[in-house]
Amino acid sequence: MEKVGIVGYYQVQLQSEANYGRYEMIFEAVRGALDNAGLKKKDVTTVISCTNDYYDGRTISNAFSVEVGGAYLADESKVEMDGAHAALYGLMRILSGNHKLAVIWGGSTPSCYPYHSARLFETDPTWERPNAFVNDITAGGFQMRAYMEKYGVSAEDIAKVAVNNRKNAAKNPSSLKEAQYPNLTTREVLESGIYADPVTELMVSPLCDGVAAILLAPEKQALKITDKPVWITGVGYNQETYYLGDRDLSTSKSMESAGKMAFKAAGIKNPKDEIDVAELSEVFAHEELIFSEALGLAEKGQGVKLNYEINGDLPINPSGGALGGNPPCATGLIRIIEAVKQLRGEANGYQVKDAKKAIASGQIGMCAQNNILYVLEGGN
Amino acid sequence: MGRQVAVVSAGFSEHASKRTDVSMPELVSEAILDCLKNVPSVGIEDIDAFVNGNMPAFEGANVPELWMTDWMGARNKPLMRVTTGGTTGGSVAISGYYNVTAGIPGVDTVLAVAFEQQSVGTTSVGLASVAYGEISVLNSLGMPYEELTRLLSGGAAIGIASYQAANYMRRSSITEEDLARVVVQNRHNAAKTWWTHLKMPDLTIEQVLDTPYISYPLRYGMVCPASDGACAMLFTTEEKAKDMCDIPVYVNGVASVSHETAILGYNGSGAGQLDPSEQLGAMKSAELAFSQSGISFPRKEIDYAEVYAPFPNQELMWVERLGLFEENTASSMYESGVTALNGELPINCSGGVNSTNAIGASAMERPAEAALQIMGKASNQVPKTVHTSLGHGWGGIINLITMMVMSDEPARKFK
Amino acid sequence: MSENKVIVANKGMVRADFNFWVGRYMDKFYDNFEKKKLVGNKCQKCGNVFVPPRKVCGKCNVVIPLEENWVDLPDTGILKNYTITPYRVNDRTSRKTKPQVVGMVQIDGSNTAIIYRLINIKPEEVKTGMKVKIEWSEKPKGDPSDIKGFVKI
Ligand SMILES: [Zn+2]
Repeated sequence: MEKVGIVGYYQVQLQSEANYGRYEMIFEAVRGALDNAGLKKKDVTTVISCTNDYYDGRTISNAFSVEVGGAYLADESKVEMDGAHAALYGLMRILSGNHKLAVIWGGSTPSCYPYHSARLFETDPTWERPNAFVNDITAGGFQMRAYMEKYGVSAEDIAKVAVNNRKNAAKNPSSLKEAQYPNLTTREVLESGIYADPVTELMVSPLCDGVAAILLAPEKQALKITDKPVWITGVGYNQETYYLGDRDLSTSKSMESAGKMAFKAAGIKNPKDEIDVAELSEVFAHEELIFSEALGLAEKGQGVKLNYEINGDLPINPSGGALGGNPPCATGLIRIIEAVKQLRGEANGYQVKDAKKAIASGQIGMCAQNNILYVLEGGN
Repeated sequence: MGRQVAVVSAGFSEHASKRTDVSMPELVSEAILDCLKNVPSVGIEDIDAFVNGNMPAFEGANVPELWMTDWMGARNKPLMRVTTGGTTGGSVAISGYYNVTAGIPGVDTVLAVAFEQQSVGTTSVGLASVAYGEISVLNSLGMPYEELTRLLSGGAAIGIASYQAANYMRRSSITEEDLARVVVQNRHNAAKTWWTHLKMPDLTIEQVLDTPYISYPLRYGMVCPASDGACAMLFTTEEKAKDMCDIPVYVNGVASVSHETAILGYNGSGAGQLDPSEQLGAMKSAELAFSQSGISFPRKEIDYAEVYAPFPNQELMWVERLGLFEENTASSMYESGVTALNGELPINCSGGVNSTNAIGASAMERPAEAALQIMGKASNQVPKTVHTSLGHGWGGIINLITMMVMSDEPARKFK
Repeated sequence: MSENKVIVANKGMVRADFNFWVGRYMDKFYDNFEKKKLVGNKCQKCGNVFVPPRKVCGKCNVVIPLEENWVDLPDTGILKNYTITPYRVNDRTSRKTKPQVVGMVQIDGSNTAIIYRLINIKPEEVKTGMKVKIEWSEKPKGDPSDIKGFVKI
């Protein structure tokens, strides 16, 4: 795979209830990314957006964001997954040679719509949906119990992940204010109320409004645009089967396959030693452990023994991860941005020392049915 | 630099107004099985990645590709979902192309599938929700309530289409009879294509003109039906294509360009344009796709075209805006038989969207049929040899245009 | 084809009724619900038994013929997994209610698990691996609500 550079990024301040409109937010993100790279609208040749018609409450929702997203008379399309998947399509368009600068933006405003209800529309309408026992809330409970029972992991171990990420979020000014807990304890996490047993409220990534954008360019152009390009050197994406009853929820088969694909492309043989920092889209605290194990960063069931703090052996989600704010359709894209910040040395307050190689992931579906993973590298 | 991409197969489900005998995933699997049947050497294990799309709000199923994973054969495979409204099928096909050309390690052969089971939901609700959010905004700007309800009930399709039709008729000085002629040609063609919905081999211009108006100048007999159906296309690299089929169809140019704004213009003209038949997006999209394909004279170089026209006026408008005919001459081309099956530049020999419209699938059925014409495998195959063809899609609110230009020769633009 | 079954799924935020054609496999499945009977089908290649029945085995990617491979199943099974949640995602919103236990049950003789409520049980009594049995509604209508839930046996 040829190198493609991430040459600009922008993320709007995450908010529980943004006091400004979706289109303004999209404009701020896209304009911000262009400014970040010192580029103009006329430089943009393709735009890939990521929204969801159910989240936006309207059909063909992307049609209304054409102008604010910089797509007026540009070659555009929409990926209805996570922003990280939209970045994949942008990457493909750059690799095709047809385009020299791709804008990728994604995001939504869950303060305006019933998120869980929209997620319920994902379920099999001929079987599961009428009863609504399968939904994104119960799925989280099943997944955590499957993981705990298979490997004998305690709820306290999983609470530690929530503590770490929410403490990290407190160091990251662009994370959600309500997600920041500088002095959280595992006990507080365990006692924060039942969400879907054994998942407690503080183990769940808080929904929030937000939009993020990145710019991609081919190697040659990237070097001219910025002196701090970050390269996409590997990507993997995969989808596993749908019915929860068919799946082994204690692991993530799709992340495992995505990881293998991305590491192979990037020539990574031993991810645990070669990767300096990871940004993973964990909708629930336990997913961070499941993902890190699926990626081979730890043995199965041993994810909790990883030293994943900011100054640890392999920092995971130094930005706070999705537990620091989960704006649907932007979460994975923000993980990419946070990894880029680490590689460019711009993660003020939560910078990982000497970060040269990073991974970032995005997901959609119940129990992360579909995952995408990027390998990013800094330096010229 | 990207790799040369080829289409090696295309497949369809049977289309009808209500496919009550299948669930949504089963409908999709029909198209996939049909697509793979045409390439006996290719099994599901040879497919490296999938692209899926439909218009989700029409069926009341959000991200349905997750649910239908097993029916598609996509279990433990890379998958991407693309949706862009009416152009979804075209956007899915284009994404299939990009998946292959990108050269992402491990992704060579890609199955793209687009579908719609409109009988499941209420499409008019889906279309109305396109405009719904703008109602309060426009009302606060002083737009009269009657106008707003008209916009709402028109949704994205028939409301805007009637303005567009009237504008086009004025521009090109054509009559309702000219519109009916396009419909008759399409319905006759549909009767000769196995998977289509409205098969009317004996329809006459008089019969079309005898039906009542929905909204001037469009009559009931002129507009597309609402269908259930799915379409699949198989893309792969130039090297692998040669082992999979006799005549690989090379994808030489793709584009999807939009020309619309955040707020619908007055009377739903869209894009703040006063003339919905102007279609800057279509011209830009055509220009991009033709230049990628090395085509300078589309009128001479395109042998066959499938354009996305639920309404007959659009078919005339597109063939002009895409550069296949001179301005205001399209209608005379239909009259003189240039666009007929045995004509010089046959258009929509599948019967087009005018005869079958499973919305999410429609914009893929255009490049799929255009590819089959090059392979010589279309149900309603044109007698002349087709070297270069195009598949076009229309969607968005009124102006997102997808283009796929294909040929039996690779463009070699990647040298 | 008019006798084919539909499931009306109108729960959620969209105020429109969607009539989902269930297809012939699920049609047969729900017809048996009316007799308070559970049926599944078996993949001819890997031998996995699916409940509800499926047209395509995702693992083998083969079409299971409509007229063949049907398996009668008992209404007992093993609790593989469960969760307890006060949230109910229903009726166009998610709201907090009395906690309910939702269980994932592998029906005896099948290779998949189905998800329903566990009824007449205290949360602290629930253990994975316990035997459970379907509680049918008194007047089954041939839709997913015919299974009221699972009870411990
Ligand atoms: Zn099987």
